[in-house]
Amino acid sequence: MNKLIFTVLIIILSAANFYSQSSINPDISLIGRFNTFTNFIKGTSEYGKLNFADPEMELFVDGYLNPFAKAAANLAYEENVLGVEELYGHIVRGLPFDMQIKAGKFLVGFGKLNTVHPHAWAFMHRPLFHQVFFGEGGFNDVGINFSFLLPTGDLFTTLDLGVFKGNSVSALTDPNAVDRGINPLIAGRLGSFISLDDYTNLEVGLSSSFGIFSKGNINSSGNIFADPEQKSFNYFYGGIDFKFKYSPDAYTILTIQGEGLLNNRDALGLAGTGFNSYREIVQKITNSGAFLYADYKFEKQFSLGIKYDYTAGIAGDTPNFYSLANDDKNSTQGIEAWFSYYPAEETTVLRLGVQHLSFNYADGTNRDGETTIKLQFMFSLGPHKAHPF
Amino acid sequence: MKKIILLLLIAVTGISYANIKVVATTTVIYDLVKEIGKDKVMVDFIARGDQDPHFIDVLPSYMIKLRNADILFRIGMGLEMWSDQLIDGSRNSNLKVIDLSSNIQKKEVPNFKPDASYGDVHPFGNPHYWMDPENARIMAKEIYKALSSESNRDESYFKKNLDNYLSELEKKIIEWKSKMAPVQGKPIIFFHASWIYFAERYGIITSGFVEPKPGISPSPSHNAELVQLIKSKGIKIIVMENYYSDSAPNQLARLAGIKVVKVPTAVYGVRGINSYIEMMDYIINQIVQNIL
Ligand SMILES: [Zn+2]
Repeated sequence: MNKLIFTVLIIILSAANFYSQSSINPDISLIGRFNTFTNFIKGTSEYGKLNFADPEMELFVDGYLNPFAKAAANLAYEENVLGVEELYGHIVRGLPFDMQIKAGKFLVGFGKLNTVHPHAWAFMHRPLFHQVFFGEGGFNDVGINFSFLLPTGDLFTTLDLGVFKGNSVSALTDPNAVDRGINPLIAGRLGSFISLDDYTNLEVGLSSSFGIFSKGNINSSGNIFADPEQKSFNYFYGGIDFKFKYSPDAYTILTIQGEGLLNNRDALGLAGTGFNSYREIVQKITNSGAFLYADYKFEKQFSLGIKYDYTAGIAGDTPNFYSLANDDKNSTQGIEAWFSYYPAEETTVLRLGVQHLSFNYADGTNRDGETTIKLQFMFSLGPHKAHPF
Repeated sequence: MKKIILLLLIAVTGISYANIKVVATTTVIYDLVKEIGKDKVMVDFIARGDQDPHFIDVLPSYMIKLRNADILFRIGMGLEMWSDQLIDGSRNSNLKVIDLSSNIQKKEVPNFKPDASYGDVHPFGNPHYWMDPENARIMAKEIYKALSSESNRDESYFKKNLDNYLSELEKKIIEWKSKMAPVQGKPIIFFHASWIYFAERYGIITSGFVEPKPGISPSPSHNAELVQLIKSKGIKIIVMENYYSDSAPNQLARLAGIKVVKVPTAVYGVRGINSYIEMMDYIINQIVQNIL
């Protein structure tokens, strides 16, 4: 698989080189990220030591196909694996009702932060609820998205509706134990942007995603096993997000952003009584996650920030959300703080941060909090565009 | 049917109404469009006069402005790198994008493949050509051409406005030239490379820039070099765009006794500057007053 991706990479690069002979060539950008860290997690070999993580890379190739459509690819090299993070075509104008269509593999527009590439985040650690409910790479799926601009006057309001293959929701449980069959899921967002004055802007959004997160059956010993012909486990995500930005001059930006997720889904429970009891989908389980951060950029080159995280489940574990496991009642909280230095715009970033996680187990298990200190160096080579607001 | 009646009413009563919807990326373009389009054109702008036009946030509220526009005028030459994302976001497939630099004699166009080690904001040459009033003349003509081809029946109206404006501008150009005559051959330090066209027009010697390279923030080592330069050449003023922080120039003022002259490089850049001509008046008066 890696070989194939390398071949694709070489074809893209040589095609880009070929096209650069003419004036029409796609934009190519390279993001590099190096992390060194130490942590204070008892029993790990990293404890108190200066650790070097493997460098990470993202390669963006994008450009116009014609006056109406664009295409983009994003290849990521993380933890020594090269993968296609995104690959899509995007019709941006010329469609009826001013609709935009995006098709391929891309970051799903659930909430605001998920669609922003991690190199553009103010902080270093993916929000905990993303990790638990979307997986380490965020909510990323294969599908098609339709975007509509609603006639709300000076208010910029978009409605996004997408149908996706659904591999991404296997984060809800052990991905190896899931066979969803062919059951596309739905994801959408209603977002509104308001300029409060020349210096202050606000965006608010409501998101939703639902579908089948697994198909399974129960064997005689009461365990679930993947079975595409069998019972459907449905899920529903509701999301709320906001982003507030105040920038009184070109040197100062205050950003406050937050998101919340409500998860409601089917799980196995006990039906019947006594000896006649059996496991069946009888439970509707509800839990949640959220983050909130503030980042204060000053003198154009520096920023200071803090983020609070909460999620149901234990961050870093593969949860089992099939059954009424304690996974639902367990929770993780995080506090992250950072200081960033941007010597020349976004082209280079040096960031020092600390994150402290604390764990809460329903069964009373005692687990020490975990502190990680991380120094990050990141560069952005080429014309990769800034994300809109 | 209602529409027809309305049109008839307008025709009969002779009420003029805006035919063309225009968005300008900067307030200088906005002012020129107003002069030529007058009440046949509805015009709005994106970058405020007190904002660095290189770095404008890609805000959805700007996409709304472009949504129903007929024409977007921009300076071009890579100044408004942010404008393509706004155009895409507007979903407007009828928008005509007019680059006003097409007939400008461009300066500092790299004859090598530029890379970011030369600073990252002027990859296609220096885009600050509106600082030379002779170029404002060319911009006005381009705007006239675009408006006329958008609304043929108003061509003579736009022509009349263009001619009026050009003759007004001509008078000012002569006035500015004579005011600036004593400044000729004098050295000035500028903040950003916004002043190449202006300096060449008036024979000013550009001794240096507060920015080490276009778009790169001032640094202590570069400031130290400038102190030496100011002392050895006897440079009297730093002229700076008012959207930049004056902390580095003020430091130079303390260390080398140079005067800092802060001026707008766009319309509405300071209160009371409501047109291109007022802006140039203000800049030239400030320079003349402080350098002589
Ligand atoms: Zn510039």
